Amino acid sequence: MKKQLFRILTITSISTVLWSCNQSDPVPKGTYVQGVFVINEGNFSQNNGMVSYFARESKTADADVFSLVNGNALAGGIQGYDIAGDHGLILVDNSAAGQDKIQIVNANTFVSEATINADIENPRDVVAVTNEKAYVTCWNTLNSDYTYPVGYVAVVDLTTNKVIKKISTDKGPEKMIFSKDKVFVGGYEYGAGNKLTVISTSSDAVLSSITFKSAPNPIGVDANGKLWVQAGIELFRLNTETFAIETTLKIGTDTSKTPGNFAMAPDLSTIYFVLSYSDANYVNHGATYKFSITDTQVNVTTPFVNRIFTGLAVDPTQGLVYAAVTPSYSQSGYAVRYRGDGSLVDSVKVGVAPTGFFFKQL
Amino acid sequence: MAQKDSIHLNPVTVYGYAPERFMSGLKVQKIDSAALEQFRFRNITDLLSLNTPIIIKNYGPGQLATVAFRGTSANHTAVLWNGLNINLPTLGQTDFSTIPVAGFDQLSVQYGSSASIVGTDAVGGSILLGSTMPQAGLQIMIGRQQESFRNSQMQATIKYGTSLSNKWIIAGKTAAYDSRMNNHYPYTERNKKIMIPSETFQKGIVQDLYFTKNKHQLSAHFWLTDNQLTNNPEIFTGREFTGIKSYRSMLRYQVENWTVRTSWIRDILNHASGDYSKLDHAVTDRIGARIERAFEWKFTNLGNIQIQAGGEFTHYITHFTDYEKPVTTENREDLFLLTRWQATSKFLVSVNLRQAFVTGFNPPFTPSLGAEYQLIQTNVKSLKIRSSIGRSYRVPTLNERYWKSLGNPDIRPEDGFNKEVGLEGKHISNNINAFTASVTAYHNRINNWIYWNPSRNFHVENLQLVVARGIETQIGWKGNWTIWKAGSNLNYAFTKSTQEKVYDAYASDKVGKQLSHIPLHSGNINLFVQYKQIRFTNQLQCVSKRYTLDDHAQFSQGYILENFLAETTFNWHGTAASLQGRVNNINNSFYQSINGNPMPGRSFALSLLISLKTDNHTL
Repeated sequence: MKKQLFRILTITSISTVLWSCNQSDPVPKGTYVQGVFVINEGNFSQNNGMVSYFARESKTADADVFSLVNGNALAGGIQGYDIAGDHGLILVDNSAAGQDKIQIVNANTFVSEATINADIENPRDVVAVTNEKAYVTCWNTLNSDYTYPVGYVAVVDLTTNKVIKKISTDKGPEKMIFSKDKVFVGGYEYGAGNKLTVISTSSDAVLSSITFKSAPNPIGVDANGKLWVQAGIELFRLNTETFAIETTLKIGTDTSKTPGNFAMAPDLSTIYFVLSYSDANYVNHGATYKFSITDTQVNVTTPFVNRIFTGLAVDPTQGLVYAAVTPSYSQSGYAVRYRGDGSLVDSVKVGVAPTGFFFKQL
Repeated sequence: MAQKDSIHLNPVTVYGYAPERFMSGLKVQKIDSAALEQFRFRNITDLLSLNTPIIIKNYGPGQLATVAFRGTSANHTAVLWNGLNINLPTLGQTDFSTIPVAGFDQLSVQYGSSASIVGTDAVGGSILLGSTMPQAGLQIMIGRQQESFRNSQMQATIKYGTSLSNKWIIAGKTAAYDSRMNNHYPYTERNKKIMIPSETFQKGIVQDLYFTKNKHQLSAHFWLTDNQLTNNPEIFTGREFTGIKSYRSMLRYQVENWTVRTSWIRDILNHASGDYSKLDHAVTDRIGARIERAFEWKFTNLGNIQIQAGGEFTHYITHFTDYEKPVTTENREDLFLLTRWQATSKFLVSVNLRQAFVTGFNPPFTPSLGAEYQLIQTNVKSLKIRSSIGRSYRVPTLNERYWKSLGNPDIRPEDGFNKEVGLEGKHISNNINAFTASVTAYHNRINNWIYWNPSRNFHVENLQLVVARGIETQIGWKGNWTIWKAGSNLNYAFTKSTQEKVYDAYASDKVGKQLSHIPLHSGNINLFVQYKQIRFTNQLQCVSKRYTLDDHAQFSQGYILENFLAETTFNWHGTAASLQGRVNNINNSFYQSINGNPMPGRSFALSLLISLKTDNHTL
C-alpha cells in the first residue's frame, strides 16, 4: 500500500515535471490540493492528535491523513496547521518533554518533508508570513508549578527548516493574526499574560506591546482594516497602525461566561463565537452567537446555534460555518456544517477533539 | 529445583488464610513453584502475562502496569497478600510493576467474581499472594540478574526454622530485593516512534515470623516496598517522578477454631514533575482487625460441612491535599459466612454470604453459590464439572469519592453478577505422560460501572453497564522419562467486553463495542525440554488488536512476543548455583505500551542464584 502510494506519487511528480516543461503556471498536483483540513488535538496523554481531511462535497473524512500518506502517526496533540508556499506546517505537542515538533509536509501530497524539534517547546499557533517564513508561538517549558514562563515566537526558515530566531513575548503566547506587515500575538486565557505583542514581519522584531486587563485574543482584521481583539467579556477594535483602541463592546454582562473560538466570516464583517460556562460539575454549557462589526452591542440573547463547539471557522469558498464537536476525548469528534442562517447542513466524523479548520483552495 | 528432600515443620495444618477452600465452582490456578522460581528476578506482570490470560496494561518497562482480568478494568481485580486486600485505597488498584516475584512465596490466580469470599474489587478475579512457612534448618540464597539496557536486580533471602525444647517451633524468612532499571536503550526510536526514557528503582524487605506450639499458631508478616519511577530523567524541567511506598504488616493468631488477625498498611504516593520541591503527597493508613471461627460437622449420610464465620473492621485515614478535606477517614466493616459442603466424595457445594458496610456507601449484599461434581475419578483419569453464580461489588475508591473537583460523593458502589461453568480433566498414561485440560465459559454483568466521564470533564459517574463474557481454555502436557523431561502448556482466552448503556447522544458511537485496551483474543504457549539439570524453555505470548479509543477509531496492532530461556543448576553438598540465561522478545517484535509508546526490542538477561542449605534436620 505504501509502496503503491509511493509509486503513484513518483509517477505524479515525474509527469508534473515533464508537463511543467511546457507550461508556465502549473496547477499543483496531489490528493490534497483542495479541501478541508481539520486540526484534532487528540487526547493529551495518548498523543493521538491528527489532521483529518475531507473534500467539501464529501461526507466522510480521512481521519488521519499524515498516517495514511506516511505510514507513521504524528505522535502528539495537534495544535495548529498553516501553509507557506507548498509547505504545510503541523504543530505537534507531545505529552513527554522534549518531543514537541513542527512536522513539515508537502501541502498538496502531505508527504513528510522535515521535522523541526530544536527550539520548539509547547507550540500553540502557526502563521505563514511568506512562502519561506512562518511564525510559531511557543509557551516554552512550563514552570514546575504549572505557571507560565515568558514565551516566544519561533521564526521558522523553510529553506533550511530551522528556527532562525526566537522573539520573546508575554507569558503563554497563543493565537496570531497576520495582517500586511505585522503579526499580532495574543495570550492564553490562563497563561497570566495580558499583552498583545505586535511583531514586524520584515524585521522579525517587536514593534509594540499593548496591555489589556486580561489575556488578549486577536480575532482578525475586518473589512475596514481594523483589528478585533477579545479580552474577558470585552471586545476591542484597534487601529492597526497606531494600536489605539477605537471601540469597546461588551459581550453580555455575565463574567462567569467565557467567549471563545472566534471566527471571522469571509465578508470580514461578521464574527461568530461561542459563549460558554461550566456548571458545578465542570460540565460546559452555552451557545454560539454572531455579530457584525457595525453592531453597537453584541447580541447574546438569540443564538446563531444553541450549542457549544470546540472550534469554529467559516469556509471562504462556500461561506458555510464549520463547527467542531468533541463528544469526549476517548472517541472521534465531528465537523458539523451550518449555513449562515444557522440551519444545519450535515456532519462529518473526524479525529479526536477537533479544534480548528484549514480551508485549502487551488 | 524444587526442594524435594526437606521436612515440613507442620505438614498437616493448612497454615494461614486459605480462601481457596471456599471457592468451589470457581476456577483457581495455582502457579507452581517451578514457574515462580523461573521468574524470581522479574515482576509479577511477566509471570501473569506468560501464564494466565490476564491482560497487563503497561505504560512501559518498569512503569505503571495495571491489569484487565476477564474483560474488566484495572479496578476489578482484588490483590490479596496473606488474605489482606492490598490494592491502593486511593486508586482502588495495584500497580503490578511494584510487585516483584521475590516479594512472596506462593501465588494463586482466581478467575471471576468472588466478592462473597474476598470482598470488594473481586469482580474480574483476584490475585492471591501468600507467604509459606519455611522448612527446618537454615537456607541462605543470594542472587543477581544482569540485563540489557544496564538493568539489574539483586536479592538475598534467609530462611530458618527450628524447634525449641519447650515444643515451640520458630521459623522465619528475611528477604531483601533491589532492582535498578536504567533502561538505557541503544536506540532512540522503534518503527519511527520515539522511546520514552524512564528509570525505575525498586527495593523491598520481606519479614515473616512463625511461632507454633500444639494448637497455637502465631505469625507476623511485614512487607516494605519502595518503587521510584522517573520519566524523562535527563530533562530537568520535563521529568516526572512517581513514588509508591507501601508498609504492610500483619499479625495472625490461630488457636483451635479461632483466628484473629490485625493489620496495618501505610501507602505513600508521591508525584512531581520538573523540580521536585513541590511533591503531590498522599498518605493512607489502613488499620484492620479480623476475627473468624471455623466450624465443622461430619454427618454419616450428608457428608462434611465446614463453616467459617467472621467479621472484619478497617479504619481508613488519608492525608491528601487534593481531596475535599485534608484528612479523610472512613470505616469499613464486613460480615461473612463461608460454607463448604462435601456432600459425597464426588459432590462439593459452597454457599458464601457477605455484607459489607462502608460509611455512607453500603454495598449490596453479596451471596454466591458454587458446586463441583466429579464426572470421572480414577487413578488415571478425572473429569470435573464446576459452576458458580455470584454477586460482586466494588466500593468506589477514595479518589472517586473525595477528589476535590472531579470526585463524586454521591457515587454508588458497582454491582456485578457473574455466572460461569467449566470442565477440568486430567489423564495420566503409563506414568510418563500427564495431560490436563480445562474450558470455562463465563458471563459477568457489571452495573453502575464507575466512569470518569470524558464528555463531562472527567467527572466521576455511575454511567455504564458493562457485560464481559468469554471462554478460557487450557491444555497441558508433561512427559517424564527420568533423565529427559518435557512439557507444554497452552492458554487461550476469548474475551468480549462491551459497554451497553446509552447515556448521551454520542455514546451510541461506543455502545456494543469492545472496551478499549482489551484484546478479543489472547493466549500463551510455554514449552520446555529438560535433560538432567539443563532446561530450555520457550515462552510465547499472543495478543490480538486492541482498540485505543472507545469508538474503535484507533487501535494498536496485535503482537507476538517470544522469550527463550536456558537454565541449569550445579550442586555441591547443600550448595546450589542456578544459572539462567534469557532472551526477551527474541523476534524483536514491535509492540506498544498503552499510551502508544514503543516497547523495547530484543534484550538479554543473565542471572545467578547461589543457595546454601544446612542438612536436613530432624525435629
